[in-house]
Amino acid sequence: MPTVAIVDDDEAVREALGDLLMVSGFACRCFESAADFLDARETRHFDCLVTDIRMPGMSGIDLIERLRDDGGALPVVVLSSVLDETTRAHALALGARAWLAKPVTDERLLGALSAAIGNAGPDARR
Amino acid sequence: MTEALLDPLAQDETGIAELASESIVILDPQGRIGYWNPAAERLFGWPAQAVRGSDIASLSPADDDTRIWSQLLQEGAWEGRIRRRTRNGGIRPAEVRRHVRYDKAGTPRNVVEYARPAPDARPGEMAEGPVPDRLMAASWEIDVTPAAEILARIARCSGRADQARLGDLHRSLVETARIVEVNERTARLVGGNRGRALMAGQSVAAFWPVASRTILAELIVDALDTGEGRSRRSLASDGILRDPLVTVWRAGADRPGRLFITVNGAADDDRSYPFLRASEARYRKLVHYMPVALWQVDASHMGKIYAELRSRGVTDFAHYLDDHPALVELAATSVPVTDVNRSAIELIGGADVQDLIRPVGYLFAESPDSLRRVMIGRFSGRKNYSELMKIRTLDGRVLDVRFSVTYPEPLLELDTTIFSLEDVTERLRMETQLRQLQADFSHAARISTLGELTSSIAHEVNQPLAAIMTNAETSLRWLAREEPDIGKVAQLTARIAASARRADDIVRRIRGMAIKQAPEPVPLALNEVVQESLLFVHHEIETQAIRVTTAYARGLPPVVGDRIQVQQVIVNLLINAVQAVEGLDEAEREILIATATNAAGAVVLTLRDRGPGIAPDHLDRIFDGFFTTKAQGMGIGLAICQSIVAAHGGTVSASNHPGGGAEFRVALPPARPVA
Repeated sequence: MPTVAIVDDDEAVREALGDLLMVSGFACRCFESAADFLDARETRHFDCLVTDIRMPGMSGIDLIERLRDDGGALPVVVLSSVLDETTRAHALALGARAWLAKPVTDERLLGALSAAIGNAGPDARR
Repeated sequence: MTEALLDPLAQDETGIAELASESIVILDPQGRIGYWNPAAERLFGWPAQAVRGSDIASLSPADDDTRIWSQLLQEGAWEGRIRRRTRNGGIRPAEVRRHVRYDKAGTPRNVVEYARPAPDARPGEMAEGPVPDRLMAASWEIDVTPAAEILARIARCSGRADQARLGDLHRSLVETARIVEVNERTARLVGGNRGRALMAGQSVAAFWPVASRTILAELIVDALDTGEGRSRRSLASDGILRDPLVTVWRAGADRPGRLFITVNGAADDDRSYPFLRASEARYRKLVHYMPVALWQVDASHMGKIYAELRSRGVTDFAHYLDDHPALVELAATSVPVTDVNRSAIELIGGADVQDLIRPVGYLFAESPDSLRRVMIGRFSGRKNYSELMKIRTLDGRVLDVRFSVTYPEPLLELDTTIFSLEDVTERLRMETQLRQLQADFSHAARISTLGELTSSIAHEVNQPLAAIMTNAETSLRWLAREEPDIGKVAQLTARIAASARRADDIVRRIRGMAIKQAPEPVPLALNEVVQESLLFVHHEIETQAIRVTTAYARGLPPVVGDRIQVQQVIVNLLINAVQAVEGLDEAEREILIATATNAAGAVVLTLRDRGPGIAPDHLDRIFDGFFTTKAQGMGIGLAICQSIVAAHGGTVSASNHPGGGAEFRVALPPARPVA
């Protein structure tokens, strides 16, 4: 069962995403901040990351940059309400697999996750 | 003039003679005085009423006139020097011409006498100088016939010790006695603005000073009783005349019930009457052309009613009027307008003065409660009262006016109340327009502020929406299973409801800022409004990890204001503070908010950031419209803040804190406690 990490500062969003992924056959861990996720990653394996962009502390963009600097094999799906095209282009340029706007339908989210995990690089199976 | 007087058919001869500067007296063939013009009053001091019907010989110190009279009737004319008693006991030498006028049958009809002061009068012949105009007696002719019953009761009372009862009778005597005629000076002294003609037929009490009514009644009784038919008394100065001397005597037997009263005494203002008349003419002209619409009303009748009510112990007049609404109606229909000026006629759209000279009710037709308040003001002894009210003009327009009333001094019951009305329709319209503009402008600024917050708002609204959508779809998946997990669905549905409420709160808050509505002043707790305002920038503060330190004073008095506008001011200042600390080291990203009251009692909000502060040469211009240092800003935020705070009666100021950073202070006046 692929394991997905969710990073979002909004509790309601985290809970909703976690439930959806679980009922759809994913294992799932939720994190309130990018820093919490990076801590957990030291000891755990994740097949995919779903992250918000605007968050207190480290932003989603910072997080993607950090992952790229670390080797960049973990597929990232951005789920955000940021409408700014520059930010979107930046995230994709950094290697994000998909950029989804909140609110998102389950089909699109699950489709993007499947696509990201299916195309995962070597890091995903480490 | 002479021709007219000689024409036996001339009806208006006395009218013309009234204006003559020469003394003109008309006598019957027996020498009884029939007409005595004002110049004769001035020359000899006797008012016309006092001498009419008397034998001219009675005014002569010797039997001069008896001798001259027979000569006159024989020859038809006589010219020469006479001496005549003056009212104040002196002798006045005069040069006279007398002509006999005959009827068609050739019998003497009357004698016309023209007189002028003798130019060579020797001092001995002048016990006193000519009577100056200002010393001219004020004279009255009154009729006590209606008081016959009262006089009879006074007669029965006399000698008894029942002073209270006698006092009552004396008062009713003066009230019942009617004025037949008064001279010009009386009208001037006590007639208010009514003039001689309007005084005739009125109660003596309507004009006679209250303080000396008993004395007048006693003099009347004496004059009717004594064989001499005359009584005299000095009065205390009464604010009109200095050391007045009142003389009352009864008319001849041919006029029962008639009495003459003369009041001598210098006016307290001892400028001469011609001077006073000129001054009065100037004053009237001034009033007439004054650009303020003026109404003079005679509220003396209401004054008496108020005095009566007070003596009956009424103190809460507003309450009394609630119980007796007819009194307001009485005032509307019975208080007459006695004079108006030109501006008043223009304001009310009348054709001439007469359109406005009627009971005051027409002024209050649109605002009946105003009249009630005017009456309460008078009753409670105010000197003046003013309010905004609506009036309907004679041509049917409705105007907004500033209505002011100046109540009479309570010296006398004779009183003149002045209303002034200023048309403020246009001013109010401009003010409304200005308020509208200010509201439009601050609304535009709010929209612009919301524009700055767009991405935050989108984010804030999208979070609960995202949760709702995902939870709903998850629920459907649970339900679609072979064995639906109802418990899980119930949990998800509860989360959906919670997120929906959250989204609703956010939308509601933003809509408050976004919609355009008239400012609505209500009592506000400033601490609460600061907390609400922080919600707008919550996301900015969170994502930029800005520390917000708050120090809310306890027990602050409420301020009065429009919640949205006050929020707008605080949100603007918060956005500025957020932008000031943006990009600083995290330790420097701090905003300090404090509320307090200052020495003047105002409620003060202080908002300080740890940013770079305001350039000293910008401090003076920071609240100017379109002054900005931001690349994206229009520079209206702080200008709007200032105009909103000013409209709330407060002030906003900016300074640099000695410890670094900009500091804004908003001071708002505390709400007045409800009286």
